[in-house]
Amino acid sequence: MRLSVAAAISHGRVYRRLGLGPRSRLDLLRNLVTALVRHERIETPWARADEMRGYAERLIDYAKRGDKDERAMRMADFWLTEKDLIHKLFKVLAPRFQPHPGGYTRLLQIPNRDGLDRAKMAVIELKGNPLPPLVRPRRDSDKTLLNQLLKGYRQDAQRAA
Amino acid sequence: VLILVRSPLPRLRALLQRCWGRLECGLWPSVLRGQSPPWGPALAVQGPALVPRGLNDASESSTEAPSLLESILWMAAPKQRRTIEVNRCRRRHPSKLIEMKRNIDVCPECGNLKQKHVLCGYCYAKVKEETRLIRMEIGKKEGGPFNAPTVETVVLYEGEKATEKDEGKRIIERARKRPSWFVQN
Repeated sequence: MRLSVAAAISHGRVYRRLGLGPRSRLDLLRNLVTALVRHERIETPWARADEMRGYAERLIDYAKRGDKDERAMRMADFWLTEKDLIHKLFKVLAPRFQPHPGGYTRLLQIPNRDGLDRAKMAVIELKGNPLPPLVRPRRDSDKTLLNQLLKGYRQDAQRAA
Repeated sequence: VLILVRSPLPRLRALLQRCWGRLECGLWPSVLRGQSPPWGPALAVQGPALVPRGLNDASESSTEAPSLLESILWMAAPKQRRTIEVNRCRRRHPSKLIEMKRNIDVCPECGNLKQKHVLCGYCYAKVKEETRLIRMEIGKKEGGPFNAPTVETVVLYEGEKATEKDEGKRIIERARKRPSWFVQN
């Protein structure tokens, strides 16, 4: 009969263990959220970006409530260490994402870091940022069977009209 | 290296009897000393002597201190050399070989190789360099630290004018031709 729990079981745990402890983890994520709001696109290890994504989106949800809301202001005050970004959050990002119900960030994996650790890196960006796009949307080629059939149908409709 | 232990015969016999005694009781003597008496047959039947018992010099020497052979720490060691066939089976087992990656593709923009779920390294380096230059221009416009604007930003290249969509936005000028992969919205 096993009397002690095996050490490496972590069923159902949602939060990763980053940094030196729970407080350090929150500080790390807070720095990343501040950087994301300032620069609108950052490159960081994938685990940290994934962990930070939820916090950033919830912060924008709070900001959508408006800056008169006491809780929203306290959240923004805690999460953004640089206080000029609070103005940017409520005046730029909240109106930008008002028509969208969720999914304000985009997380994409990039090739592993060049240093000794070869860490899995990701780039996380806010949608609608003014910077050049990371991925060009690809339309299907015109030479596929379905597209050729549709082209023929369009031409027939034009000739009939 | 073969170590020859020149032990006198009565000591070896005493050791063997002690080992046999332990096996009989089924326990180590250090745990249960003198609690379980030596087993005897329940029914006395004429038969061969299974248990080597009652040699005179053995009973005299049974109270000796544990000999050198018992106090050595015995450790596991391979008995036979592993043949090259066995070694090959272990070394070439599929779990030990490097897996082949089947998720490598060609980037449709630049033609370099990329993994299917990862951005192309060349294209990303291109975009990263351009964002660095745009951020330098932003830094020059803001002047100092902690001057984030409260309006949106738009990047315009040489010969471009702000459209009516870019009404209240801050304009960042870049002194070069617009790259083909940065489509103006």
